[in-house]
Amino acid sequence: MEKENNDKLKIGIYELTGCAGDALLILDCEKELVDIFNAADIQSFLMAKSDNIDEELDIALVEGSVSTEREKEELLDIRKRAKTVVAIGICSCFGGIQAAFLDQKEWEKNFKKVYGDAKMTHTKPVQSKPIDAYIKVDYYLPGCPIGKEQFLSTFNRILRGNPPDLYRFPVCVECKWNENDCLLNKDIPCLGPITRAGCGSICINHNLPCVGCWGLVEEANLTSEFQLLQEKGFDYDFIKKKMANFSGTGIADFLGNLKGDKK
Amino acid sequence: MKRISVEHLARVEGSGGISATIDGNVVTDVKFSIYEGPRLVERLTVGKTPEEVVNIVPRICAICSISHKYAALRAMENALSIKVPSKVSLFRELMHLGEMIESHSLHIYYLALPDYAGFPNVIAMASKFELEVKIALEMKEFANHIMKTASGRYIHGENPVIGGFGKFPAREELLWIKSRAIQFMPFVLKTVSLFCELDYPDCPEEDTVYACCHPYQNKYGLAGDEIILSTGEILNKDDYKSLTNEFVVSHSYAKHSRYKEKPYSVGALARVNNLGERLKGEAGKMYKKYFNRRWQRNPLFNNAAQALELLHAFERIPKVVDKMLKLSDPAIVKYNAKESKGTGIVEAPRGLLVHSYEISDGLISYTDIITPTAQNAEDIERYCSIAAQKLLEAGDKDKIKDRMELVVRAYDPCISCSAHMAEVKKAPTEDWKTKLAEIKETASPIFVGVGKRNRSDDGAGIELALELKKLGVSDVYLESELEDYKIPWKYKGSRPLIFFDAVDFRESPGKVTFLPLSYIMNNTRLSHMFLPFASMQMKYKHLKNAYMLGIQPESIEEGTKISRPVHQAIIKVLKEMKN
Repeated sequence: MEKENNDKLKIGIYELTGCAGDALLILDCEKELVDIFNAADIQSFLMAKSDNIDEELDIALVEGSVSTEREKEELLDIRKRAKTVVAIGICSCFGGIQAAFLDQKEWEKNFKKVYGDAKMTHTKPVQSKPIDAYIKVDYYLPGCPIGKEQFLSTFNRILRGNPPDLYRFPVCVECKWNENDCLLNKDIPCLGPITRAGCGSICINHNLPCVGCWGLVEEANLTSEFQLLQEKGFDYDFIKKKMANFSGTGIADFLGNLKGDKK
Repeated sequence: MKRISVEHLARVEGSGGISATIDGNVVTDVKFSIYEGPRLVERLTVGKTPEEVVNIVPRICAICSISHKYAALRAMENALSIKVPSKVSLFRELMHLGEMIESHSLHIYYLALPDYAGFPNVIAMASKFELEVKIALEMKEFANHIMKTASGRYIHGENPVIGGFGKFPAREELLWIKSRAIQFMPFVLKTVSLFCELDYPDCPEEDTVYACCHPYQNKYGLAGDEIILSTGEILNKDDYKSLTNEFVVSHSYAKHSRYKEKPYSVGALARVNNLGERLKGEAGKMYKKYFNRRWQRNPLFNNAAQALELLHAFERIPKVVDKMLKLSDPAIVKYNAKESKGTGIVEAPRGLLVHSYEISDGLISYTDIITPTAQNAEDIERYCSIAAQKLLEAGDKDKIKDRMELVVRAYDPCISCSAHMAEVKKAPTEDWKTKLAEIKETASPIFVGVGKRNRSDDGAGIELALELKKLGVSDVYLESELEDYKIPWKYKGSRPLIFFDAVDFRESPGKVTFLPLSYIMNNTRLSHMFLPFASMQMKYKHLKNAYMLGIQPESIEEGTKISRPVHQAIIKVLKEMKN
């Protein structure tokens, strides 16, 4: 039986700077979409509807990183209105690819290269950061984009007041489930050992190495992966850049500590 | 010295807005703003290997991620002199058709149709169009399935790589795709009729230039190595910059583009306009049945063009599958990246997409990406401005917001920015004083008085300039002093340029207005030749920094007498200038 709107949890889905892939993935849950809209009162979802309301929320799902002052304000406002905030996708969780300029000066230099000295009148740019740089985040749902199964399970659980139950192991575990040959054994630089599982080891299933797009798994053994790739003959800078591509600010400490060791 | 170049960030989608300011009876300052923050994606690629860049760049946009992947692959393969086997090209075409179907079906049914059917969103619309909504959803699901098969997952799949694919699909999978495509045909034909027969408003309607990829062998297609324009010109892909001429605007993190100083459009409507004659089969018949002159002038017909392209895609899929089935799965082509450069162009669902890279020492040293919506931004602003002005003149001010949204949405600038974006602002009265003061504060302007002294109030501009000269203000010119082509702004950098003239903006005599010159050029009938001549001599940056201080005349009958209200206006302006 359909519930009346006032019995349902109020949910908002918001997009900051990113590719909108996580919101699009929610739309791509074609068969489940109607159930999602029935199970909850979707108050705001810019990609799907135009009559959005910005009031008190039970749950806010936030995609994208913060890269302008305006987004910072918007995010602070969302936090004020929402009981629970869930970061969805790696841009929101870790800053995403656009957070790869870890150094403020470097970011400024590159910003100038792209936009010259033009004064932006509409909103002030800031270096891209994950949302927890500004607000408290209750749950993280990583992915690039998020996976459908994990999204639906997480959505279901938080609707019932339970925390999400996500994989806390690296892609390698899923890869073994799928009975793939290990690409590292074939000297192909694969980031499976340090990358969070949930994608179903999709790249390795296609004979391609993991690029690390779901971000770092908790307690990833970065040093070991780094040494392993060095032993396989890959260049120091190549490994460093490869590991940083999708890790956002999550890898800042590790790279910072590396600086001294270059041989 | 290093090139001081503005290296371009390409990424448009996410949140954006359009706003127009209404100043009495004229619409000024229409702006299509992208609020999406800067990501500097092009700079992020520098120093990475070509294959890593192919992983990263599709993250620019989830909706067109396949097109980005495809354009990046074509560019890299051009740079690395790789020729891929035909099965690879065919499989890429299949994935690209999948994306086209996904994007077009979502746009026309879910985003555009509710406007024309009179519903706030697709869920409300389902009450009237239940079957259409349901089958359109199945169509989108089918397209997602194709993309998943080809790229590995719905969004940002990594299966397509430089030189080929990680894995090819099984025969059964391809046969299923073929049969499913054929099943959809009756619905697709209905879709074309539905969208080609919609009652599109005739405002805005005006000519523009269309650009798209020029496919090989006289075919209709979504990739090529040349760009074809509706003017008949053909450009090589490596000369794409002569089309796009990107520049930064302060109200958006997406750069704008102009061709020969004029806005142009890309997208389904551009493709149908430029290549429609090449459509074969059912799509060819439908083109002949529905295409007319209005398609060349009205951006709202992009919806119809997308429907027509859906039909093309559904007819093309079985043919691609048949060809693929005859070929064996090739291995990934190996390569060695050293020093080189290359450009790749494809048609993303919303238009021409350019990726260009330079490789040195095996790593990317320069990246330039130009997205369709960035190219459309100028035309979106222009058409919105035309629509808003016409509606304002017709007394339909209330319709402006909705009509502008309709125009923006027709361009399908990407899902998230097409919902909820129009805003109509009212300019504060006596605004000209503030604007004049602002400009005077930033840099000392050059003044030019324009008009005819023998036609009463039309001499106001000249009169004003003469008075200023008397006051000893420097850099004041009369139209007549400039006729020997010595254009002062040519030599004075980019200082602001302010013209004085009598302007009929349908207000009471003596009212003063301050407008961007481009507005005057686009919206009013000019009685003298000087302004068109002058603006033709200007570079874009000058035009953006040029203004008209206009006084509403009482009469422009023959005679030398300036009317009382206009005379008072001149005194008022002089007083402001002295401050």
